[in-house]
Amino acid sequence: MQLPGLETWIAAFLTLACMSFLYKDNPFFRFAESLFAGISLGYFIGITLNQTLVPNLIQPLHRDFAQNWDLLVPGLLGVLLYMRYVPKIGWISRYALSIYVAYYIGLDFTRRIHGEVLPQLARAIVPLTRFDSHTIFYSLIFSLGVFSVLIYFFFSKEQDAVTRRIARLGIWFLMISFGAAFGFTVMGRVALLIGRLNFLILDWIYPMVGLG
Amino acid sequence: MAGMLDKLLSLDRRWIFLLVLLCVGTPIVMPIGLPVTTTGSTRAAFDYIESLKPGNYVWISFDYGPSSAPENDPMAEAFLRQCFAKKIRVIVCAFYPLGGLGLATNSLAKVTAEYPNLRYGEDYVNLGYKDGAAAVMRRLGEDIAEAFPADVRGTPLAQLPIMKGLRSIRQVQLVCSVATGVIGEYWITQVHSQIGTPIIIGPTAVAAPKYYAYLNAGQLVGMLGGMKGAAEYEKLLAARYPDMAHFYQSTRGFTATKGMDGQTVIHAVIILFILVGNVAYIMSRRAAQKKGA
Amino acid sequence: MNLEFGRLALVFLFAIIPVVGIALGINSPGLRARIPLFVAFFAGTIPIISLYVPKKFLSGPTGMSPRLDQWLIIVYAFAILLGVVNVLQNSTRKIVRRESGWPFSIVLLAGLFVTGGAGVYGAISRKGITLLPDGTATPFKWIQDQFFQPLQSTIFALLAFFMASAAFRAFRARNTEATILLLAGGLVMAGRVPLLEFLAAPFPPLQPAAAGASQALGKLTEWIMDTPNGAAQSGIIIGAALGAASMAIRVILGIERGYLGLGRGE
Repeated sequence: MQLPGLETWIAAFLTLACMSFLYKDNPFFRFAESLFAGISLGYFIGITLNQTLVPNLIQPLHRDFAQNWDLLVPGLLGVLLYMRYVPKIGWISRYALSIYVAYYIGLDFTRRIHGEVLPQLARAIVPLTRFDSHTIFYSLIFSLGVFSVLIYFFFSKEQDAVTRRIARLGIWFLMISFGAAFGFTVMGRVALLIGRLNFLILDWIYPMVGLG
Repeated sequence: MAGMLDKLLSLDRRWIFLLVLLCVGTPIVMPIGLPVTTTGSTRAAFDYIESLKPGNYVWISFDYGPSSAPENDPMAEAFLRQCFAKKIRVIVCAFYPLGGLGLATNSLAKVTAEYPNLRYGEDYVNLGYKDGAAAVMRRLGEDIAEAFPADVRGTPLAQLPIMKGLRSIRQVQLVCSVATGVIGEYWITQVHSQIGTPIIIGPTAVAAPKYYAYLNAGQLVGMLGGMKGAAEYEKLLAARYPDMAHFYQSTRGFTATKGMDGQTVIHAVIILFILVGNVAYIMSRRAAQKKGA
Repeated sequence: MNLEFGRLALVFLFAIIPVVGIALGINSPGLRARIPLFVAFFAGTIPIISLYVPKKFLSGPTGMSPRLDQWLIIVYAFAILLGVVNVLQNSTRKIVRRESGWPFSIVLLAGLFVTGGAGVYGAISRKGITLLPDGTATPFKWIQDQFFQPLQSTIFALLAFFMASAAFRAFRARNTEATILLLAGGLVMAGRVPLLEFLAAPFPPLQPAAAGASQALGKLTEWIMDTPNGAAQSGIIIGAALGAASMAIRVILGIERGYLGLGRGE
């Protein structure tokens, strides 16, 4: 019989502390919650420093400054972001923030148009050369769904009798999707619980009672 | 009858919690072994990797954290096992900041231990985590080493035999993103749409409904939706590779297939909850209408 | 010294102009808002234009766009840590003022400093934050495996209980739309798992029929996911993408300024 190690006991205690919230809010849960928040933030520091700032900024500057001298600029821009916490000169951080936000939103623009609008529209345009059951139940219903949902989301013009009906159909399509999403979400959340109970039962309780 | 249902509906929710706990826990102690049926999107993913040749490159991105590990870990490990069994070279990275790298390290350690002949840096590599996934993916199209100058251990990419001659993600035959959130979408909308690399997504069940739209539009080679998708993949893998069947059927170790027992029981209970709740609702509405009349 | 055009152009746009802007802004507050918007225009347009205009100075290996991508990976890393400062300020204030629940702020800060410290140690000692060459875990990885992983997964697992409770108390067929939602949800939940086989398990003669019905239900679920759900998601994606693209244009052109803490007229 091999008893569970210290690591397993720590993980089991933290798991139970979190689960104790199901009975009622209590100091064990609040301890676990605060610890989780703190460790998460510390995790950000560790991972960002080791995996991005060291290999992509510090090491290139250290190894070959002449080749990478320009990386000083993003490094300084990064530091500039923190000037927002200095009230008198907080406006200086706007330079770094504007570059950061505008660049990523520019990338987002290309992603959305190339990767979402064009392929999704292309999928909704279907040939109706054959009018068989597959065309009706897959292509036609699909196109009708996309069209009606888009009409529902069109807020620039007041809806008339016709568009209101199409929009209603769009709502029904959305409801089917939300219902399906609910079903999938139940599955996802239960999967997490299965993972935790699996740990508690197989890795903690079983070894304790000699079944491990 | 209506009074009884009303009483049932006003039950302290902690009883419901206890029932959920028992329904999920019991199949772990007493497995049922329910069958798993496969779907087209999972088979397409499996067949695509099967069609690759030894020496090809597959890029596996760990875009999830512990918050969805029971769903995503089995997917990632199944991809790794299939690639290693087929002698496909694997490049691993992580874009999910809160725990993606740790899970990638753990899964790699676990699966590579099953294949003692594999050599780090030749057959597989872990490039680690990187901030700014959208910007990184742009660089992957031109020069991988500019985005990932070194692997997770700090070894420059030029010193790794697996990276010799591999400059761009265009040369990679497939990207498998095991994803919990938006990063899987980045792989589709940025790497597939702008660079053209084929993509397989293994999303969490919560994210899966959205990915059906990308799958429909031909932007994905295949998809594994949540724990069910992972269980389907395990079934396909066990059928194709008898060596792995033993692992997936053994009583030790967590697999998605085993998790499906608990899923089935709890789904039955939740459907029952919905039915009971609605019967009570309809009856109380009728009673109110009668009173009003 | 590498003086490629791309690098020099970027340094001019995103270092020299900001430095000049800061110098001018000290004495004229009006410029504190205008020059950042001017800089944002270039930061936003370079990644877009480089995709459509294959000019060497822009998207070539020595052009502006590839180097800007590398720069912004670094800036992102700094940005992701901004929240840490906020939490530090709030928690410290709570402790100093002895506000309610202040001992938990100490726990939070302890978690932050110990984990962050292990990360800094990994960087300074060059041991990293994953596994050591002998396969043992670094302090950072140990904290991650024993503390961070169980905490994160359990906090999210709690949602399963609340979903079940909500299904019991709130999921009602109050009107047509809610009924459609409920039916779709019920069908998908039943069709994604071997529910009928499970229910028929105590009755062996019913098992073949249950297996056949389960397959049919599975196919119906796949159709729901592919077609009506796929269509609705496609509509949502197109709508949201067009919204995001127009927002991108507003930011790049300086019409949308809220992210800089500025109103319309500033």
